[in-house]
Amino acid sequence: MRIEAQDVRYVYAPGTPFEVEALRGVSLAVEPDEVLGIVGGTGSGKSTLAQHLNLLLVPMSGRVLVDGVDARKMARSELRRRVGLVFQFPEAALFAPTVEEDVAFAPRRLGLDEEETRERVRETLELLGVSHLASRFPHALSGGEKRRVAIAGVLAMAPEVLVLDEPTAGLDPATREDLLGVVRSLRKGGTSIVMVSHDLDEVAEVADRVCVLEGGEVQAAGAPEEVFYVHTALAPATVRVVRPLRETHPGLGRPVRFEETLAGLKGLLEGRG
Amino acid sequence: MTAGRSLGQFYPVASPLHGLDARAKILDTGILAVGLFLVDSVAGLLLISAVVALLVAASRVPPGTFVGFLRPVVFIVALTVLFQVFFSREGEMLLRWGFLEVHEGGITTGLFLALRILLLVSTASLLTATTAPIALTDSIEDLLSPLKRLRFPAHELAMMTTIALRFIPTLHDEAQKIMRAQAARGADFSEGGPIRRAQAMLPVLVALTIGAFRSADELAEAMESRGYRGGEGRTRYREQCFRARDALGLGAAVLVVVGGVLV
Repeated sequence: MRIEAQDVRYVYAPGTPFEVEALRGVSLAVEPDEVLGIVGGTGSGKSTLAQHLNLLLVPMSGRVLVDGVDARKMARSELRRRVGLVFQFPEAALFAPTVEEDVAFAPRRLGLDEEETRERVRETLELLGVSHLASRFPHALSGGEKRRVAIAGVLAMAPEVLVLDEPTAGLDPATREDLLGVVRSLRKGGTSIVMVSHDLDEVAEVADRVCVLEGGEVQAAGAPEEVFYVHTALAPATVRVVRPLRETHPGLGRPVRFEETLAGLKGLLEGRG
Repeated sequence: MTAGRSLGQFYPVASPLHGLDARAKILDTGILAVGLFLVDSVAGLLLISAVVALLVAASRVPPGTFVGFLRPVVFIVALTVLFQVFFSREGEMLLRWGFLEVHEGGITTGLFLALRILLLVSTASLLTATTAPIALTDSIEDLLSPLKRLRFPAHELAMMTTIALRFIPTLHDEAQKIMRAQAARGADFSEGGPIRRAQAMLPVLVALTIGAFRSADELAEAMESRGYRGGEGRTRYREQCFRARDALGLGAAVLVVVGGVLV
């Protein structure tokens, strides 16, 4: 499925002294089978944009199209199932007495029977590597475990597009790596992913396309090497290393991911040695 | 980020009322509130209404917003009026419908009470709309401090009030966030009857309560790690000062009440 935002504007608390203009005409598409990274500073409108993708927030002007159809015309429940949204710090919304129950919430709301629900829960917990926690009390788990369970709670709806808002904020490096692995395997399975993050290094590792948001406007969008090698202020560590080296070694190309960068640098060193 | 337009909301603009000393404003509100119960003539109430209307204008809170502050009490006011209209047996009987009787006295007392409640809530809203919550609780502590001699925990009470007030918007935002997170998982808060809707709120309330306990723990730790150990010897960042205009305000409040009683 393809989601397209057309000139979306959103203002918080309009007409009050608390008014904040969060999105000032954002146009952007989430293509099928891609990982789209949305980066930008705090207050750039990333989270606001994420909530427009399943109409938890409705644009004040402009539209959101799902496969060419105005999302406002779709049944909300259907839209929410097809576009799964994981909020920032999603563990705050865990509520059930066991992990299993919590993850089963969404499938049950979708009207799946007990058998199917149990199967869904089993699959998602396994995908996220938390099957062994199924009967535990969610709030007694560690931060990383809670995060995985909360993500499972959305994935259990089997969404076609998964929107992750800062999925790795506050996690340890190992859990972060695991989650990026989950993102990769979901993408292989045909789920599109929108990953909102201000960690440029992790976006560089998984994104097929990158969109830079600043002050509620799209500043740049395109392939990671196009964006990161042009917008110097927003570059992952790999690009920050390669860019100055390219002046004398243009053969390095424009690698973005760690593995490519490492291979390029290795080639350079061995060529010299 | 949400902006409630509800009872007790602070409306941060610059106005002559915002500039007054909060302690004086609390006393003014108290004087007017007592006055509202001393005044028992229509003319007196109208005098106070006019003063309150002038004060709303002076507060620079848009009238529409101010009326919004009063919305939560409309139900109570309506109920009070209905009770008076149907159950008071004073004055001439105007209408009879089965066991229900409407008397003239009932209607006048009903309207009188409604006006009184609305004015009471209006003066209280004026206070909260023009006074930052922190200034408000600091003032409560100041006004109650003579009672400290009697071992009344004025500081603790003020601190608790400050924290409670401070956490209303935080909890409100948190509730909104959790509701949206559950909505993303297919929860629907608007469908079905009251029971279905109450059931839909359960996942929100459980998550919110757990979060509130965690916030309380974190706040206590943050306060202790910054050396908080109760009110003794504690100084303030913002000192209030009682000026001539505050005294004038108090005088005016007393005059209005006396005027209201006399007319």
